[in-house]
Amino acid sequence: MSYYDIDLILTDAEKIPCTFQLDIPDLGYLDNTPTQPLKAGTKVNLPLWLAEMLAIANAGDAEGRSFVTFDLPPALGNDVVQALKADPRAVPLRDQSAHFYGLATQMMELSEEQELAAALRKTFVIRASEVALHARKVGGAGQRGKGGADEGSNLGVGGAGEEFLRGLDEWERKLFRKAHDGTKSGKEWMESIKKH
Amino acid sequence: MDIDDILREVDPIFHDIPQEQRDLQDLTRAWVAEKSAPELLPWPANGLFERINANIKTQIERVEELTGDMDPKTNFALIVIQTELERYRYLVRSYLRARLAKIDRHALHYLSTDALRARLSGAELAYATRHQALLHNHYLSSFLSSFPAGLQNLNDSAAGISMIETPDLESAVFIRLLRDAPVEGRGVDADGAMDGRESDIVILRWSDAKPLVEAGTAELV
Amino acid sequence: MPMYGDLGNKLVQHAKRTQNLAHLPPYQTELIRAVTREVRDLDKDVASLLEPFQGSFDPSADQATACTLLVNHLSMRRNKRCLLAYHRTRTDKLEELVWNGSDVLDLAGQQAGGANGAPAADGGASSSLSPQEEDYVRQYGDLLAAYKGQWTDIDLTGSLEPPRDLFIDVRVLKDAGEIQTEYGAINLTKNSQFYVRHGDVERLIAQGYLQKLG
Repeated sequence: MSYYDIDLILTDAEKIPCTFQLDIPDLGYLDNTPTQPLKAGTKVNLPLWLAEMLAIANAGDAEGRSFVTFDLPPALGNDVVQALKADPRAVPLRDQSAHFYGLATQMMELSEEQELAAALRKTFVIRASEVALHARKVGGAGQRGKGGADEGSNLGVGGAGEEFLRGLDEWERKLFRKAHDGTKSGKEWMESIKKH
Repeated sequence: MDIDDILREVDPIFHDIPQEQRDLQDLTRAWVAEKSAPELLPWPANGLFERINANIKTQIERVEELTGDMDPKTNFALIVIQTELERYRYLVRSYLRARLAKIDRHALHYLSTDALRARLSGAELAYATRHQALLHNHYLSSFLSSFPAGLQNLNDSAAGISMIETPDLESAVFIRLLRDAPVEGRGVDADGAMDGRESDIVILRWSDAKPLVEAGTAELV
Repeated sequence: MPMYGDLGNKLVQHAKRTQNLAHLPPYQTELIRAVTREVRDLDKDVASLLEPFQGSFDPSADQATACTLLVNHLSMRRNKRCLLAYHRTRTDKLEELVWNGSDVLDLAGQQAGGANGAPAADGGASSSLSPQEEDYVRQYGDLLAAYKGQWTDIDLTGSLEPPRDLFIDVRVLKDAGEIQTEYGAINLTKNSQFYVRHGDVERLIAQGYLQKLG
């Protein structure tokens, strides 16, 4: 957990559906009605940084209720999970959430959804190797023709590859960049050895 | 006959290696280890860097002496000395920068206890302390001073998250065993154990590797 | 309707963009002020919510107030984190520029310039740095100089590439005057080419005076 990490802070801004468990007079603004009290049972989308603590905190009454209960966000909803089970590579995670894995990890910490966790883990492994594959292809480009100015750049990834790369979430993009730079510098190193 | 000659008779292998060369070996080891370990390693306390600094100074002086004389033969010697000098400079620079990057990233952590502070050199400690003061002062003058007093800290852990960032001791490292030893590592699904042999190379979590490295049973590669 | 923390989030989105830019975009003075004001307003709300209880507030007896207080506290902490992360992203970038030997305070005025460091045509009177950031750059520069002073023979800000080509071909892109090398002085006039020791000129390459050939 890193306090200053920009991606973690942005992940914490992802909203999840929450239901308030008691009447709160001063929080009507959260439901767009600042002059009205917030009624128990009201559903509001709250950012993770707020939802998480309100769900964990004990309201302090005898039954040990929380202030809110929450559901899984649409990004982790049944439709998405079914699509991931069919083919993890065919789902543009970025369209669900730019911080898909960050959001998923946080939600897994808050709830015990074993089937979802298993599906996400499989998704992660399959997609990560696909990302590495693309990064090697792109990072190693220019091996055939010499002297191209765009050696190892993002250009020249055609068709399905382009669509897959567009759909990467932030974590996958970082992985892609690392794998890409690694391949590229490996190649440069090999060439510099040949020169000497 | 001086002390080195006597030692050479007692332990011919070790003392045949001149101090200068042993220092270069130690420097290279320290550099590799610092580049691999996810956390800051202790600053060598045996005067290694004082000797290396002195050695670099001597080499620079030799280069200056030789430069005055542009005879092609000595010019070749000059290039050899310069190449060696560049390598020394690179190792020291890369080592110091790797340490400074870790210190900058987790400054409050390394300044938080005496044991952690002891890992820094005097100059590093001065740098880290002053750097943190500059940052705190920058935050204060930019916005933090108009915050309520209770919210001006940079080192609490309210709302479930610590403001003091720490290195990830669970990240993976490669080690080479320097002698036969059992190796145990924790995994995600299952833990692993093996009877390691000298010169085996193993990948495992730094938290599992650290005791082996500190005991001299293994080195980072 | 905007809720607490939305403005802070905007700041962090600015920080995210900043991470991917080569230059430093303008400091978000207005947004910083607005987020800071929000923190003070939330703090006042907390004080007035607690006032009737005279220091003896019992959360289990008034859950609705307890919940509102929690939301206010979390919103203040969230804003603080956003503000700190935004400033930290920028100081990281400023420190990087100081390490690279760029004249940050001079560059700051010409941010709108092209990628090759050409000064902007509009004169660049307004700096993209806040006055506090300008102070920070000066102070960090002094700090780095003090640390470097212990390692004068190393050139701590030098290349982190392992030494390979000791000598390189360079072309002079703009007049840089005379430099001292270990083989004597070289006069760097525009468009001339030299075969020089990499260590002697790497700063000039970083600053765009020389171009490495081959």
